[in-house]
Amino acid sequence: MLQIGVQTKNVVNDREPDKGFAILKKAGFACADFSLNGYLLNSSIYKAERNDFFNRTVSELEDFFRPHKQGAKMAGIVINQMHMPYPIYVPNGNKELNAYLWNEVAPKSMQICSFLECPHMVIHGFKLARLLGSEEVEWQQTEKFLDFLAPMAKEMGITLCIENLYESIVGHLVEGPCCNVHKVVERIDRFNTRYGAEVLGFCFDTGHANLVGLDMEKFITTLGHRLKILHIHDNDGIGDLHQIPYTFTKTRENKASTDWDGFLRGLKTIKYNGVLSFETAPVLSAFPEAMKEDVLRFIASIGEHFAKIVDF
Amino acid sequence: MELICSAMGVCTPERPGQGIADISNAGFKATSLDIGMYCSGYELEHHGGEMNGFDKRDKNPIIENPSEMSSCFEAMLAQCEKKGLHTLIARAPFLLENTKRTDLNELLFQLSEESIRFCGDASCKAIIVQPMFAGIAPEDEWKVNCDYYLRLAETARENNIMILLENQCRNINGHLIRGICSDGTIAAKWIDELNDRAGEQRFGFCMNVGTCSLCGQNMDEFAATIGQRMKAVVLRDCDGHEAAGLLPFTCSYGRQSRTDWLSLIRGLRKLGFDGYLVLEMADTVAAFSPLLRPQLMALAKVVMEYFRFQIEIESVLRKYRHIVLFGAGNMCRNYMKYYGEEYPPLFTCDNNKSLWGTKIGEVEVKNPEELRNIPKDCAIFLCNVYYREIEEQLRNMGILNPIEYFNDEYLPYPSFEEIDAGGK
Repeated sequence: MLQIGVQTKNVVNDREPDKGFAILKKAGFACADFSLNGYLLNSSIYKAERNDFFNRTVSELEDFFRPHKQGAKMAGIVINQMHMPYPIYVPNGNKELNAYLWNEVAPKSMQICSFLECPHMVIHGFKLARLLGSEEVEWQQTEKFLDFLAPMAKEMGITLCIENLYESIVGHLVEGPCCNVHKVVERIDRFNTRYGAEVLGFCFDTGHANLVGLDMEKFITTLGHRLKILHIHDNDGIGDLHQIPYTFTKTRENKASTDWDGFLRGLKTIKYNGVLSFETAPVLSAFPEAMKEDVLRFIASIGEHFAKIVDF
Repeated sequence: MELICSAMGVCTPERPGQGIADISNAGFKATSLDIGMYCSGYELEHHGGEMNGFDKRDKNPIIENPSEMSSCFEAMLAQCEKKGLHTLIARAPFLLENTKRTDLNELLFQLSEESIRFCGDASCKAIIVQPMFAGIAPEDEWKVNCDYYLRLAETARENNIMILLENQCRNINGHLIRGICSDGTIAAKWIDELNDRAGEQRFGFCMNVGTCSLCGQNMDEFAATIGQRMKAVVLRDCDGHEAAGLLPFTCSYGRQSRTDWLSLIRGLRKLGFDGYLVLEMADTVAAFSPLLRPQLMALAKVVMEYFRFQIEIESVLRKYRHIVLFGAGNMCRNYMKYYGEEYPPLFTCDNNKSLWGTKIGEVEVKNPEELRNIPKDCAIFLCNVYYREIEEQLRNMGILNPIEYFNDEYLPYPSFEEIDAGGK
């Protein structure tokens, strides 16, 4: 049976991380998606506001996250994936900030990932296609960043995972980096051949796919073994809401308007054996605090339902 | 590039007079033959059952007998002929994207085949035939459609018609996602394989901009993938969530259009697109009073001309051996930045005396009087938004050289500093 995971955000805190991991375990999760991006928020980065979290030395960062590591171990939770702060490059942002993100935040994130014994690090490709005039040129910049991280990833046994993203045109969300599965496949294979190791893989985000109308089944089937991890969440096809699967309907028949059947068929076809990981932290802020454990249990039960369908 | 206005929503085949006249009077030289005007998806959906008062016809003559098609459109074609309006492209009947009818695929074949014959009689050059999808499993999509299109190829050959596949949406309980042919790589493969099997270039592609927008697609990338297989582009605006046929630039929010026109124009420019540009705006037409229709159609015509102008901006530059610019402001700077190297002007000029003798990049700013001395075949590209005023000034000076407009609203890429964060 596939294992179920969820984000640590809104559950695991820095004061008593062991309690948060215990809650996840009790709710039925075996794995966690460690929300490293919560320590340097994208909303702050875009405003060129930078906190001092990543000013710490690697040794200080390890000390900071030691209780988290121990808490997860004690609860029997495996930190299967984590999210690097993003973006790593702010178009037309100041040089100092961009250099800091690239040279400090990114490598230190890798060190934390290694310290937490996490095998997958999600990174966002650069959103530059509109600025640079083509997706190919945009990818060259992302690849430059991946090349910077790849030797570290290889040494640490971490697979960097690129994710399908979106961009906004006055609130109309359209495809961003890594939405062309044919290019993704070619690039991952080429990259891994170059490094002689599986340093690059894919994180399929169901919510982002739904926003830009990707055919999930075909996308996943084409990805095949390159699919390493998941961001499972739902939305109304309009906003990136990160809600519980099966939440949204659009017709009087009240059937789910997200193609969950196609998603699960795709996973089954490729014999996906990774973690069914939910990126649903916003659900926990929507429900009353008192219902947190019930909500987590419900999310885990959807994971169990998915696992039964995908199980091969 | 042929600018075509669909008659869908503008007129009915039974009473085509006023609508066809409105299209023609607006300056369009061509319309499309939408067979769906007389054989809609709704009618197909209810074929053999109740129409629920949606349509006054008890039985649709075309669905009952596809060979009736030409007689149903007789009045419309006569009106087109009277107004000198060509019918260059057609659209075969198609099912609703949320159809529950999986039993109509053979009927669709008959309708498509008859549509092709009818197109041949009406001197059309191409027909959009949407792929079969109803009741077809993903793994069978290619096989079923390959058979379908190749069955149509012979009739298309006899009538000298090109069959255009079109990108589709798929309806997931009210949410439109990417359907058949919306993956450019796969669509391109299908067309190449069909042409190989047909033994000739009988198949091409029609990119539906509204569908791309609904599926959040990067049209620049999509166009690049389809490449020269792209023979037609259907222009229609929408909010990106609900299917609609709106006049481009009318679906805006936050003072910006919801459709990514930048990526479309970039993509078609790179292709050097020179095919059929088809406007489908039935919903905009329906929203306007018939009293305003002539003015609406006139606006539609200039919008279409604007698209042609933007798409062809580089091919117009390529037409001339020598060019000069008029204007020494930001538009001129943008010209020099993006096109100056490939299409260097002899000089630029400006009415502002204080700029004469200065340089923008490598190009000198001169007195407009210098335009009297340029070679006869040298074109003057106006790099200033006061296009009409400047054009009048030059004509009043007696200058007979070609005058073209340059525009920097949709540049190949905007100003951007090199990424230099780099690794240590």
